[in-house]
Amino acid sequence: MTAQTFDAFQVIADPSRRQMLMLLSKESLTINGLAENFNMSRPAVSKHIKILYGAGFISITGIGRERHCILKQDGFNKLQDFINYFDKFWESKLKKLETLLNNKQNQTNH
Amino acid sequence: MKTEIKNEWVYEQPPNEVWKYLTEADLIALWLMPNNFKPILGHEFQFTAKPIPSLDLDGIFYCKVIEMTPPQKLIYSWKGGSGDGIFTLDTIVEWTLEKHGQGTKLFLTQSGFKETNLAIFNAMTKGWQTNIQKMINHLNTSPS
Repeated sequence: MTAQTFDAFQVIADPSRRQMLMLLSKESLTINGLAENFNMSRPAVSKHIKILYGAGFISITGIGRERHCILKQDGFNKLQDFINYFDKFWESKLKKLETLLNNKQNQTNH
Repeated sequence: MKTEIKNEWVYEQPPNEVWKYLTEADLIALWLMPNNFKPILGHEFQFTAKPIPSLDLDGIFYCKVIEMTPPQKLIYSWKGGSGDGIFTLDTIVEWTLEKHGQGTKLFLTQSGFKETNLAIFNAMTKGWQTNIQKMINHLNTSPS
């Protein structure tokens, strides 16, 4: 299947997918078990599951005849990347400001 | 789980001096990014940086001055996205300046990193552990 690829933020931008993830955070569910919680067609549920799977938010494992959806860490790490990036970003900028202010002061003093 | 960024830095220069570097466009550009900031409440402005493909950011940050108390506090919104008009980054940047001896202690907070999303994240990290255990239990008890 070549489902459209979504980034982590697009994935959780959708309320149904958020709800699916919330349900899966409580327990792993079969695709049917997951679908029961939603008032939408089975193909629509499948589409959301494909998106969650494609972005690394869940894995799908066959246990017996059932296919279970289980939460996966990868998708969430991207959210953390945002924070990590800006943390470093600000630190380097604040440092740069210090250098700038000190240089300016030296120029004035000399 | 961290949901905001906090940073502090001590400068030898007094708050009035540091304040200029936070509120004058030419001076901001020297250490932060090119911008069209104006020290006016409600003023909308942009910072322009290089695109950051790994975060799906086009490098333009859309900001608006929310609070300004010279030379103590400056707050602006800080939003960004991939350029399709949807902000995946929707945060608030808050600067606080305190006298520190002859110099200034500058506090920076960037908050609002998709709090709903992070709430989900928190729920999941907990759920993730439980799920693994359930999975193991399930596998152990399932007739092979």
